[in-house]
Amino acid sequence: MRTLSAGEQLPEWSLPMTPTTIVSTAIATRDWQDVHHDRDVAQAAGSKDIFMNILTTNGLVEKFVVDWAGHDAELKGIAIRLGAPAHPYDTLTFSGTVDAVEDGVATISVVGRVSLGDHVTGTVRVVAG
Amino acid sequence: MSDDALHEKIRAEADRIIALGEASESQAPYEVNQPTIGTWLDAMGYDNDRFRQGEAPPSMAQVWTMPGLGRRRPPEDPLSRMTEYLTEVGYTAVLGTNCEQSYERYLRVGEQLRVTSALDSVVGPKNTAMGQGYFVTSRNTWYVGDEVVATMLFRVLKFIPKEKG
Repeated sequence: MRTLSAGEQLPEWSLPMTPTTIVSTAIATRDWQDVHHDRDVAQAAGSKDIFMNILTTNGLVEKFVVDWAGHDAELKGIAIRLGAPAHPYDTLTFSGTVDAVEDGVATISVVGRVSLGDHVTGTVRVVAG
Repeated sequence: MSDDALHEKIRAEADRIIALGEASESQAPYEVNQPTIGTWLDAMGYDNDRFRQGEAPPSMAQVWTMPGLGRRRPPEDPLSRMTEYLTEVGYTAVLGTNCEQSYERYLRVGEQLRVTSALDSVVGPKNTAMGQGYFVTSRNTWYVGDEVVATMLFRVLKFIPKEKG
């Protein structure tokens, strides 16, 4: 993996989302809640469409950080705050910055934006190597 | 019932459930396995060889103990008990707000997980953009045998939806 130092910025990553994106990731995370795969149910519950489940948001944060840090990077934790829903036909764009490296662990702050605002903000702790 | 009396009742129910500690436990329906990992990698568009060779992505910890279609969490699950109570007294809507996972180590194919659930805290009533509500935080601990492998604090807002104007 690369050497991590405070202040470094991760290159942005944009994920255009389709219904397939939302449904396939919900099922792959073994989350069968209907609002993640049935638009009629999601709309009846007040959403404009189906929306991404939280386990997928975590998975995409993991991928975003590890694809940049290196595939042998060792994650210690992911802490996220959830905001605007991620719907099909929107784009989820991740950005990140290495906030600090202390006691051999780097803290990387991550934001994932959609058209409605921040879908996710949080931090990922990675062994700095 | 006055608002104050209601909030006291909610507080008492929260304290009762918190005191139960790790009150429920469930087994992962399937052990950590490569086909589930591979399907997850494909869906995420994530191509990391490390996870095609016997290790599992850390954020999949929660995936292994998801109940599955048509299965339910144990009835004694503390988060369910607290959210059901809040629903009964009028806080009908729910929104996930925070999720904080820590990984002690990566899991390996063939390992059998179990997860315990405890109610960590109940904070409120708070006036939020969504309406008046309580923040309910649960604590999950994943084990392989007696070894803790991952933990998660998960927070939802249980709220009274604002009338649509």
